[in-house]
Amino acid sequence: MIKLQYITIAFTIAILLFVFIITSSDAKTAIDQLGRHVTVPENPERIVSLAPSITEIVFALDQGYRLKGVTTYSDFPSEADKLPKVGSYVQLDLEKIVALKPDLCIAIKDGNPIAVARRLESLKIPVYAVNPRNLETVMQTVQEIGGLLNVEEKADKLVQSMNHRIQKVKSLVAKTAYRPRVFFQIGVSPIVSVGTHTFSHELIVLAGGKNVAQGPIAYPRYSIEQVLALSPEVIIITSMARAAVFKQIKDEWNRWPNMPAVRNHRIFVEDSNLFDRPTPRLVDGLELMVRLIHPELFEGTQ
Amino acid sequence: MNTAINAKNLSHSFGEDLVLDNISFQVPLKDFFIVIGPNGSGKTTLMKIISGILKPQKGRLEILNRTIDQYQRKALARTIAFVPQMLAVDFPFTVFEMVLMGRSPYLGILGLEAEKDMEIARQAIAFTGMENLAHRKLDQLSGGEQQRVFIARAICQEPDVILLDEPTASLDLAYQVRIMDLMERLKNEKDITIVMVSHDVNLAAMYADHLLLLHNGQVLCQGLPDEVLTYKTLEEAYGCTLLVDESPLGNFPRVTLVPKKYMNKE
Amino acid sequence: MITAKPVLLKRLMIITFLLLMALMAVMFLGLSLGPTHSSMRTVLQTIFGTYASDAMLHTIIWQIRLPRVLLSALVGAALSVGGLVFQALLRNPLAEPYILGISGGAAIGAIIGILMGFSRFPGVSLTAFIGSIATLILILAMSSGQTILKKDALLLSGVMVNAFCAAVIMFLISMTQDSRLHNIIFWLMGDLSLGDMRQVGILAAILLPCFFLVFWLSNPMNLLLMGKELAQTMGVNIKLVTVTLLVATSFMVSATVSYCGLVGFVGLVMPHLLRLVFGPDHRVLVPACVLGGGTYMVVCDILARTLPKQGEIPAGVITAMIGAPLFIYLLKRSAK
Repeated sequence: MIKLQYITIAFTIAILLFVFIITSSDAKTAIDQLGRHVTVPENPERIVSLAPSITEIVFALDQGYRLKGVTTYSDFPSEADKLPKVGSYVQLDLEKIVALKPDLCIAIKDGNPIAVARRLESLKIPVYAVNPRNLETVMQTVQEIGGLLNVEEKADKLVQSMNHRIQKVKSLVAKTAYRPRVFFQIGVSPIVSVGTHTFSHELIVLAGGKNVAQGPIAYPRYSIEQVLALSPEVIIITSMARAAVFKQIKDEWNRWPNMPAVRNHRIFVEDSNLFDRPTPRLVDGLELMVRLIHPELFEGTQ
Repeated sequence: MNTAINAKNLSHSFGEDLVLDNISFQVPLKDFFIVIGPNGSGKTTLMKIISGILKPQKGRLEILNRTIDQYQRKALARTIAFVPQMLAVDFPFTVFEMVLMGRSPYLGILGLEAEKDMEIARQAIAFTGMENLAHRKLDQLSGGEQQRVFIARAICQEPDVILLDEPTASLDLAYQVRIMDLMERLKNEKDITIVMVSHDVNLAAMYADHLLLLHNGQVLCQGLPDEVLTYKTLEEAYGCTLLVDESPLGNFPRVTLVPKKYMNKE
Repeated sequence: MITAKPVLLKRLMIITFLLLMALMAVMFLGLSLGPTHSSMRTVLQTIFGTYASDAMLHTIIWQIRLPRVLLSALVGAALSVGGLVFQALLRNPLAEPYILGISGGAAIGAIIGILMGFSRFPGVSLTAFIGSIATLILILAMSSGQTILKKDALLLSGVMVNAFCAAVIMFLISMTQDSRLHNIIFWLMGDLSLGDMRQVGILAAILLPCFFLVFWLSNPMNLLLMGKELAQTMGVNIKLVTVTLLVATSFMVSATVSYCGLVGFVGLVMPHLLRLVFGPDHRVLVPACVLGGGTYMVVCDILARTLPKQGEIPAGVITAMIGAPLFIYLLKRSAK
């Protein structure tokens, strides 16, 4: 008799659980990086990425086939270039996004207009927002997106590999006590560098350099004189300009042979996307930067 | 007694300047009343007060035996019409449209004109001899023609009094006479009282029923042309040597300027 | 004999009807055109409810394109009427709706809102609105002491304040390096893309009474063109009419600007264009500006959306690029 009661209760609970799971199985509630409660589909099939960095992350998790639309500068990997474009990440085209019938949009806080996100939500399209500000939150973003797309394992592996490579760099850099003065130039006219709250600064520090432009202003401006006064030993220039302009910039700095960076021929020109996009490629940027800042650590190994 | 305008002790200052000082005069109905005097004597300010643009600081002004305060804005517009001296018109209204605007004091807020209003406008244009110019744009007319347009508009207001501010200044000689004749016709044919400010003493002498001579904001003299236009009063008002005699054209004074080179020792 | 023109009422009704038809036509065009191509027939069917199957097209037409088309019409109407009123009030053909510092103040307010991280609605709209009203009050205070040349005093104060604001704006822009710079620039160039039906409804509720009020005062505006004093002798209550028009129009333009940024050129050109075609009588011009200005803006918006392959051209660019040649052409024709 007692057994029967227990069985009945267990069975009822099982039924209830079953019903509960069934009715909520096509959607789940997630909390995005802005603290918003978003109801996302269980298995998103038609995703629109609202920033180039998000596109990269989705492809890095091998889920590129689920993307149906991306923003205009989503140029990496090259497959992303072939996807339909929904405008630039600061000026999104609402109609194009809706026309793609997405079941999930992934947005980025720094850049996407909140108004567009709200309109999408009012049209019953879920918008999940991320806010990566440094390497750690980038890795968090990778894991959250992995969770959204049900590829947590892949995400964990990717994050692990990123951590591993970062560790390697850290231990390499630990071998030397000296931190060369690095001027990281992102703007040509006017001359603009990077402050403390940027990805590039974090990379410089991890790569064993000293960011001469560090400070509270995210993108401080400099005159040539001010840069000369800082006497940088390494200048890394990232600009989206063409090769001819690069030569021009180098020539401009070469006019000041008293600058350590010029004397020691340590002026470099690199692809900006490795240093300012919140994606796994930041680690590529980090590895590149170590070679530029501490070439002596690589002598012998090649 | 029915006067068109009855002014008592009007005074007005602009800041420290006393522009009108205790002015009193009367304008009989159907009169041709001309105000003369040198620049700065207060003529324009007086015009502005009579037309209701300015409120006098002291004194009392009656139009048709009612104080001016008692008039509603539109009612005043139906009683007194003002013709300005010269107007820069930036916007291309036609003559007809401009004259038709004179009907505003009789129309509702949107100013939708009826056939009757159109007819009155047509008649006013005919009266001023502007029929063949009715559809021209205002800025294509000469000064004298523009002046007639404004007079036609004033006629449309069907006023009892028409005020004119130096209407013959900057007009050709022929037009000067035409305008004055027009005013006389208005007075005789339409029973309108004409009140005018003029700088031309001789024209004033030829047409005015009564004159008011202002000097330094005060009434120097008022009355019939013969009484007002003497060399003593005129010299005091205008501060220059003048010769006053009887005009060969009729029974009214003629004023002639006497430059230094023509003065003999008297 | 003089043949009088058709009675005003008849003329008014004809012109209103024609322009209304034009507005309806371009609004329909606006609903049919966009990045998602669909034939006009399907659009017609969707509008009239017979095309049931494509919910997405339905959403696009009603939720995305309709608010946009309505917003364009309202903005074009408000700016054109604004320009018309200021040209009459200030008796200056170069007057335009932003002339009394409204654009400068609104821009500074909007930039501050954007820099503080507000979203377009309601945050930035509110800061923009407050900015423009504040500058208006400043200008009125600055020019209230002068009685001589009063209309020029107002104008000059407005021009100076706008110039000062322009300097402040450039300073704020030069200090901004991040993505908020984009938002600021788009706002300054005019952006019609971010309204939904509710916001459009609010704007319509604000603007429509203003349109009626201005129309109601269109005959006094005719008289005002002759100068304040002369208008007064014709029975117009100068103070009341001037203040009412000033306040209503500034309010109207401020509300418009706070929704969509600084769409330029419409307010200057449309009144002149319509005046060339329909004559200077404000009783005809006010409805003409509402309907004609709205039509023009909807057309410009359509071009702004459909011409470029990627993204859209700012509304203010199109209004200038079309408006200037059109105006010059009409001017030349009327000179003959």
